[in-house]
Amino acid sequence: MTIKLYWRLDPAAEPQRGEPSLRPTAGFLPRDVRTAGLTRYDYYAQVARAAAITGFDGLFVAYRPESDDSQIVAAAVARSAPRLLLVPEFPSTVGSAVYAAKEAVSFQRATHNRLGWAIAPGADPDDSARTAEFLHVARGVYGQKPFDHQGRFFEVKGGGFSEPLSRATFPPVFLQGADEEALQLSANAADIHLFDNASLDDLRGRVETLERLALAAGRDVAAGVLVTITARETDAEATGRTGIAGSYDSVAGQIATLHAAGITHFVLSASPSLEEAYRIGQFVLPRVRAGQLRTAA
Amino acid sequence: MSIDFYWRLPTHGCHATIRRGSYDRGDWSPLQAGNQTPGLTASGEDDGYRYIDHLAEIAKAAELSGFIGGLIPSFPNTDDPWTISPLLARETETFRFMIAFQPGFLDPVHAARLSASLQRATGGRTVFNIITGGGGPSQLWWGDSFAHDDRYGRTTEFLDIFRGVWGGQPFDYDGRFYQVKGDKLSPLLAREDVPEIWFSGSSDAALQSAAKHADYYLSWLEPYEQITDKFARVKERTAQLGGEQKCAIRVDLVARPTEEEAWHDIRTGFENVSDATRAQWRGQPTDSVGASRQAALRPTEAKRWDELVVGKNLWGGFNLLRGGPALGIVGSYEQCAEQLDELIRRGADAFILAGTPHLEEAYRIGEEVLPLLGRTAAAQPLLEAAE
Repeated sequence: MTIKLYWRLDPAAEPQRGEPSLRPTAGFLPRDVRTAGLTRYDYYAQVARAAAITGFDGLFVAYRPESDDSQIVAAAVARSAPRLLLVPEFPSTVGSAVYAAKEAVSFQRATHNRLGWAIAPGADPDDSARTAEFLHVARGVYGQKPFDHQGRFFEVKGGGFSEPLSRATFPPVFLQGADEEALQLSANAADIHLFDNASLDDLRGRVETLERLALAAGRDVAAGVLVTITARETDAEATGRTGIAGSYDSVAGQIATLHAAGITHFVLSASPSLEEAYRIGQFVLPRVRAGQLRTAA
Repeated sequence: MSIDFYWRLPTHGCHATIRRGSYDRGDWSPLQAGNQTPGLTASGEDDGYRYIDHLAEIAKAAELSGFIGGLIPSFPNTDDPWTISPLLARETETFRFMIAFQPGFLDPVHAARLSASLQRATGGRTVFNIITGGGGPSQLWWGDSFAHDDRYGRTTEFLDIFRGVWGGQPFDYDGRFYQVKGDKLSPLLAREDVPEIWFSGSSDAALQSAAKHADYYLSWLEPYEQITDKFARVKERTAQLGGEQKCAIRVDLVARPTEEEAWHDIRTGFENVSDATRAQWRGQPTDSVGASRQAALRPTEAKRWDELVVGKNLWGGFNLLRGGPALGIVGSYEQCAEQLDELIRRGADAFILAGTPHLEEAYRIGEEVLPLLGRTAAAQPLLEAAE
């Protein structure tokens, strides 16, 4: 299966970039002509365009309560970053599942179906049950009319979208987590399950568990990994880094190894987001894709 | 004295002309020759434009022709304002996004984060039209089953929390509908201004909530004596409750170089209304007090267009021509300006105007009507009062 490569934008990273409130005021010698109209969102848009220009398949936007909201950021950059799948991460506590579905419908209609949902895990004990119900209701109002639901967290009567809203496709759903409960939830409700980085043996085992649970649920669930990446011209320059690290060739090789272990979706991150998107996009992605072509041949 | 004029983004498609009811802008009608966003290429395929591209044109037109922003309505079969606003944030510079939404849609702390983020994305151009009324089957469609007066109680609590977490200090709240402990916006987000809040709803429950939280009280246009009384009552009641309300009117205009041309378009539009459209608008169930006031006009039962002329330059059949309120203003540019001046004299502090087609009419009304305001005979008492 084809590898999908996503860049991950963290709204809280590089906090000074484009941030008007953090511009130096006193003691700054150069004449500063930046207007109030230039904002942090210009930086987000640059990162998104960088990911598009350098060949990523999509852009994840991390959920950071202390910074800009991922759904606002994803929509704000969508029209200037063509082709990318935009995947905001958000918890299932944001509000009504019907309303979330409706916001998604508009996003899909406006962007030729380029939205994905990454439901961020929450800390409360009800999180898994609520996420399952959130997705059940959101898919329900997309796919059925009338849709009725009476559950623990959500209630709908006579719901469901009409033409033309009902023509939008439901966003691919990414869920996360390493334990059996998370994998079971993904088997029932995710399109892609994202693992944190771990040893190759551990990942193999978890991918097998996921496949077994998905098979039992009668669904297809792809496996992915959320991982930091350090790619440099030589292995020596990347020593001591965690995640996927090494020379461009080495990093491409590690991705190929993970792919062979059943991982097809790679959500990559590095800081600073803009420069590293260019670097990875320019030097690593072509190697990964060339390797795939060789394997296929 | 200055008055805020907003335009409106039609979120349920638009018509190329007020004379015909076909939604030929957007995909609420079939993809065919003559439709736009999406339209057809020369070889007959979907041209790839989407309705958001048309909304972007309208927002830019409103911005360039002197409107401060636009209302973005929210109904079950419309595109969504929380999605539209950030999508268009970076393509506009001064256009304020007036987001219509119901407190039941979002968690209040999350809504505060979303709002602060949108303020940052737009340079403080977020405005809210908080909707609490409605009810009946449409409320259950959204998954919301509160009874009428409870919904205003919830709106009050929602806005208590919305403002509370904006203070930057850990905020506790123990309400009937919401409980919050130690929540706050981060310093980065709390630095933004709380969006201006526009409120609707005529019942006393609504006014109690408005007195506490609203900046503007928004009403559809009603017959002038009625709306004068209403504004006076709103201002008096909210003052008793310790609030201060400005009042605003949402109204459609058909403004033409001459009055005859304006009524000709109304007449043509009326004669093109199909029985299916009449049936669609007849007796829609709702428990909203505002909607009931409009329904009393009974435009669906009119046999002739001029049965619906309810006053000088006032026509009560707009809901037959496009979704929305029934009563609107029809006349020459000068007459339309005079009506708006008259409404200002009667207590209006702001307006949400609209006209079909929304793109072209934004320019027309921005260029031909708005510059006349404050210069008509109706404005004389205002000018004298200001001296």
